[in-house]
Amino acid sequence: MKDDQLILEMNNISKSFSGVKALVDVSISCKKGSVHALVGENGAGKSTLIKILSGAQRPDKGTICFKGKNYESFSTREALSLGISVIYQELALVSEMNVVENIFLGREIRMTVGIIDSARMRQEANRLLEQMGIKINVNREVGELSVAYQQMVEISKALSRNADLIVMDEPSAILAGHELEQLFRIIQSLKDNGVTIIYISHRLEEVFRIADEVTVLKDGQHVVTRSMEGLSRAELVSAMVGRKLEEVFPQSANKAGECVLEANGISTDTILKKVNLKLHRGEIVGLAGMVGSGRTELARALFGADKLFSGEIKLMGERVEFSSPADAIRKKISLVPEDRKQQGLFTELPIKNNITLPILKKISNWFLLNRKMESALVESSKKQLSISMASEHLDVQFLSGGNQQKVVLAKWLHTKPEVIIMDEPTRGVDVGAKFEIYQLMRRLTEEGIAILMISSELPEILGLSDRILVMSEGRIVAELEHSEASEEKIIEYATMGESKAA
Amino acid sequence: MIGFTESNHLTFKKLFAAYGVYMALLILLIVASFITPDLFDEETLAVLFRQSAQLGIIAIGQTMVMLVAGLDLSVGGVIVMTSMVVAEVSNGRDELIPLSILVALILGALIGLGNGLLITKRKVPPLVATLVMLFLVQGAQQAFTRGVPSGFVPETLGIVNQSWGFLSIPLMVWFALNAVFLVLLRVTPFGRRIYAVGSNADAARLSGLSVHRIKIAVYILASCLAVISGVILTGYVGYVDRFIATGLDLDSVAAAVVGGTAFYGGKGGLLGTIAGVLIIQILSTMVVLLGLDAQTQFIIKGLVILAAVSLYGLAQKQA
Ligand SMILES: Nc1ncnc2c1ncn2[C@@H]1O[C@H](COP(=O)(O)OP(=O)(O)OP(=O)(O)O)[C@@H](O)[C@H]1O
Ligand SMILES: [Mg+2]
Repeated sequence: MKDDQLILEMNNISKSFSGVKALVDVSISCKKGSVHALVGENGAGKSTLIKILSGAQRPDKGTICFKGKNYESFSTREALSLGISVIYQELALVSEMNVVENIFLGREIRMTVGIIDSARMRQEANRLLEQMGIKINVNREVGELSVAYQQMVEISKALSRNADLIVMDEPSAILAGHELEQLFRIIQSLKDNGVTIIYISHRLEEVFRIADEVTVLKDGQHVVTRSMEGLSRAELVSAMVGRKLEEVFPQSANKAGECVLEANGISTDTILKKVNLKLHRGEIVGLAGMVGSGRTELARALFGADKLFSGEIKLMGERVEFSSPADAIRKKISLVPEDRKQQGLFTELPIKNNITLPILKKISNWFLLNRKMESALVESSKKQLSISMASEHLDVQFLSGGNQQKVVLAKWLHTKPEVIIMDEPTRGVDVGAKFEIYQLMRRLTEEGIAILMISSELPEILGLSDRILVMSEGRIVAELEHSEASEEKIIEYATMGESKAA
Repeated sequence: MIGFTESNHLTFKKLFAAYGVYMALLILLIVASFITPDLFDEETLAVLFRQSAQLGIIAIGQTMVMLVAGLDLSVGGVIVMTSMVVAEVSNGRDELIPLSILVALILGALIGLGNGLLITKRKVPPLVATLVMLFLVQGAQQAFTRGVPSGFVPETLGIVNQSWGFLSIPLMVWFALNAVFLVLLRVTPFGRRIYAVGSNADAARLSGLSVHRIKIAVYILASCLAVISGVILTGYVGYVDRFIATGLDLDSVAAAVVGGTAFYGGKGGLLGTIAGVLIIQILSTMVVLLGLDAQTQFIIKGLVILAAVSLYGLAQKQA
């Protein structure tokens, strides 16, 4: 039967990096026209497997059989021409070029005399986008599009290469709710056209929604491959983490104390409009809203990263003015930024340098660093957040995505903050670690810390927040108590336009 | 748990990044022993070391500037300024040497401050900013001296020519400064911050670093190091020479690059630069010993930089 035809078989793949065994004898096979989910904890080896498939990395051992032909390994170029496209989390688009140019980058359609045939390219681009059911002006610069649309452009690019296999490495991490629906629609239509999808995600709801089969990796080893039918969430989770995991949000102590941080009518010249906000000791306030609603801008304004246009910020009742993040940090405020690669980490520096950067003074005698003290601090972070790393001297770039996030968290926890603003704190973090982070957040609030958590994951917002603020178009449009909040209510407020908000 | 052993792969890369340039230096010395054995004459070596020290002192600053993703093309101007100020202020009187050096240091620091302010507050690209500063400094010198430098270099400054075998004063100063700045870069908060600012300025700001202040400090240090090199050079020459520093600016960049410091910041360090300085200086000396002309010297330098850069690129890819 055509349905059961295997399009891809990766057999006994092994790969290690400087002694870290990223993959050990992993085999995986995908049926043509199916959606195959690839799940596992941070550092399980998912991305490494995909990099081997895309030709970005060479396996130490093993073979790849694609469309019935055997390969030892191939270059990225060969992978593309075979019909394998990978959409990485960091999109590979040129933001200064328009949609058409991006889709056909390096493979421009030419007329017989060699001149680029823009008209045909535009036509073709429109056809591809239409096929996916989306409307974008193909002459717009990609940099002006929202990340969701940029991702669509990436997918069209893959389609334009006649990809038979599209791999998506954590595609949902950058998408908001309704954008995700659109992605699912597109995946469904790709599937109907016989395209095979490998889908990597830490959000299991998604896996249950769209996958036909799932493969679980753990510590570089294959655990199980099976059909999604009859699989329960608890079973999948325990296969991933190797033990039973109670997915319960830690109970709130419900003891909000005095107000620590207060914003009165703050506006910026970008998007924020007269935002009021109060944050109390011991509470987690969830900040929900669509991507682009101003949540990140609010976080940055409170942290002194962006200038205020008007309004005031009060800390413990006293008016403060932050001219830079350094001021905010001195006043015990921390920001775990949204984009960890660009804003949170020094990927080419060792883990220890990343973790201790804001507290270098504290770990120096006179002006010399006390490296013993530093190592001890890093070791304590490693334990506290269960960061899986080979050595503190390793560059952060060699950590898996989730462990990188933990490094950012570790950095801020050492500053002993009183207010922590977290912008998508569990983005790219695996289920097990996610709940560890939730527990940690709760523990921190029990010590009297106030947390403002921005998240696009509603279960997280609903499960963890004592109070929920909803933003839309630069304003806070609703405040909900934990008890009265629901997904529907949040979405309703988040999507209502400016007119209704007034 | 994931197993971990120090594997050959990592160590090779690290070895190459840290010591590759020393291997290159060794190879160069072996080659030299065949084609220009004169290089190892005591006198030639002494000159070579003195010149290395002069270049090396500037290269320390250049390396730090490059670590914060910058570039300093004004160092040559600072050296000439130093020599004029020393002659002008002391006017040959030994007791005024400290004062004249102090004035040169202050002016040098101001030039560095100018570089830093242009780059951070005005967001002028480092190449343009330091070039602008160079022109300003040269212009001011011309205006001040009306083209004819006046004043005399005090004789006592000739002390810098003192040496005990190879161990000349410039060489000792170079060693001492290297020691100080190696410690600074490796085990002080300031050093850590320099690397952080160079590898991701955005993240550095969000981690509470004063990115601007750090960059400005680095440019000031670079200019002050150039002043020190300038004092030594002035003492050596014994008179004011407008062309005293010709080529030193670009050579200092070359030394840092050959030593493995990256243009985009955050990568490299002084150990590499020391070897880079020696390689550049040995090459220059060999060219002279072989009786080749200046053009050949440039071509050889260019080829060496090219080789270094492509090798570092290769090592990077291996990772
Ligand atoms: N270039 C590299 N050098 C050294 N170690 C590496 C390198 N790339 C990956 N690793 C290591 O290999 C292991 C697997 O990493 P990989 O990125 O495949 O995990 P992942 O399953 O994608 O995790 P995540 O869900 O966090 O993205 C990790 O322990 C990681 O630290
Ligand atoms: Mg990954």
